[in-house]
Parts: sequence; C-alpha cells; structure tokens
Amino acid sequence: MTEPANIPIHRTTTTTRKRKKKKSQLPIALLVLLGIIAIGLLLTLRSTSVAMFWVFGCCFGFALQKSRFCFTASLRDPCITGSTSITKAVLIAFALTSIGFTAIKYNAFVSGQTIPGQSYVMPVSLATVVGGIMFGIGMVIAGGCASGTLMRIGEGFAMQMLALVFFVIGSLWGAKDMGWWNMNVIAGAPRIFLPDVFGWMGAIVIQLLIIGCLYVAADLWERKKLGIKDEE
Amino acid sequence: MAEYELDCLGEACPVPLMKAEKKMATLNKGDVLVVHIDHSCAMKNVPEWARSQGFNVEVEEVDDGEWDVIIEK
Repeated sequence: MTEPANIPIHRTTTTTRKRKKKKSQLPIALLVLLGIIAIGLLLTLRSTSVAMFWVFGCCFGFALQKSRFCFTASLRDPCITGSTSITKAVLIAFALTSIGFTAIKYNAFVSGQTIPGQSYVMPVSLATVVGGIMFGIGMVIAGGCASGTLMRIGEGFAMQMLALVFFVIGSLWGAKDMGWWNMNVIAGAPRIFLPDVFGWMGAIVIQLLIIGCLYVAADLWERKKLGIKDEE
Repeated sequence: MAEYELDCLGEACPVPLMKAEKKMATLNKGDVLVVHIDHSCAMKNVPEWARSQGFNVEVEEVDDGEWDVIIEK
C-alpha cells in the first residue's frame, strides 16, 4: 500500500505526551544475541537436534515479530475491516511451504526412503470443521493464535499471558482426552494424502491452484469492501 | 477542528480498530482523533484501515511499545 503524501496533521489542543528520552537498546540486543548463541552452544553439547530447534525457534520468533505475521488477523480482518493484506501474505506463505514440503517429501519418495512427516497427515472429518470453528472463536477472543500469543508475550503484552495460562490448560486437557476422541469419533475418518490421489505433480498443481483462487478471491473481496481505487 | 482521544491501552488486536472505527464515524471533517495503543498489532492495522478510508494518519511512538495513532478525518 502506498502511503499518502505526508502532510503533518495539525493538532489543535496538542496534548503531545512528553516523550521519554529513548535509551539505546543496542547493548541489550547484543547481550540477548550473545545469550542465544551461548545457550545454543550449551545445547549442542547435549544434542545437536535440540540446538537446531533452539536456533529455528529464535529465528521463527524474530521473523514473526518483525513481519507482524498473524494467522488470526488473516482470517479476522476480512470480516471486520475488509482488509486482506495479511490474508494474502498467509496464502503466499502456504504456497511457498507447499512447494518446499512437496520437494522434501518427493525427494525422500524417489530415493526410496520413508517419507518424513507422514504421521501428520491427519484424518479429515466433521471433527476437523468443529475443531476449526472452536479454535477460531478462541483465537479471536484471545487476540492471537498459538504463535501469535507467544510472540506478544515476548513483547510484554500482559493480557496474552493470561491467554497463555488457559492455552496450556486447554492443551493439557485436550491431550488427556485425545485418546478417547481418536477412538470414538475420529477413527473411521479417512486420511487423505493428496499425492496418493492425484500423483505428485497433480497434487502440487491442484494445491497451488486452490491457493491461487483464494488469493484472487481475497483481492477482490478487499477491493469490494474497501472500495479501493486503483491509483491515486 | 476538535481533537478527541481514545484510550485503547491494554486492548488486544481487533478492539482498538473497532473502537476507532466507531469513533471516527461520529467525527466531523477536519477533526482529529488520537488513539493510544500498546498492542503492536493494532499499530499496524489501525493506520492501514484509516489510510484505506482516505484519512491522514501519523504514528508516533511515545514510549517503548506504546504508540499514538493520530487520524485526521
């Protein structure tokens, strides 16, 4: 989005709050970076894969915070304001990860290894829909999905620490009863792995086509809701 | 040319935006609304929404993690 020419806004009763002198945060940033590296090195002594998780986790958190990537907003904003800029960002991310994961899985398939991550191909049933709606209601009330909540706790937003407490309670409860739900509700549902159905090429093409359609739909939706004129 | 303030400190994501949306509807042209926020997400979506409506927007970081969004109708 292009920013309109910045004409300073004339504030009449200007109550501009006194700005605290900004302290440089650079020393803290360097300390934290050193801490991250130190912890990473310590973890390597125990297990390299844990150290790897640590590094990926830190990078993921950094990217998430800086990009304001928010799965909640991607689904909520179209309904509230009609803005779909984050929706489109999420769709692009899905497209990229689809290609990446297909590459990893196909590579393993061709070289005859076990395909990694197949245990995450979950059964699809009505339970998926119900669970999705429940999760959606929860994340809009809490102001963030799982990753968003964690990121904002890092930023120091107190309300979301409360959300985290209940997020943990809910997860524990869910984990406790998951066995029963699996046995009685989900068990009969089919596990669908697209490449089994359409072939590898077909699966990725179909998936990207669907994402592409959603992207176009999101763009049209925004234009309609906000009445965007093309160029100003 | 009145100036209004909207205190959204401590409010999570969609709330500041919805409050600002409602408040802006009651303002006259030329009025200014100052929204105080401390949710980083709102720092992004409030200005984005206001700009899409054709309002003039400025964001000021008044403290670490605390912003004033100044919107002129």
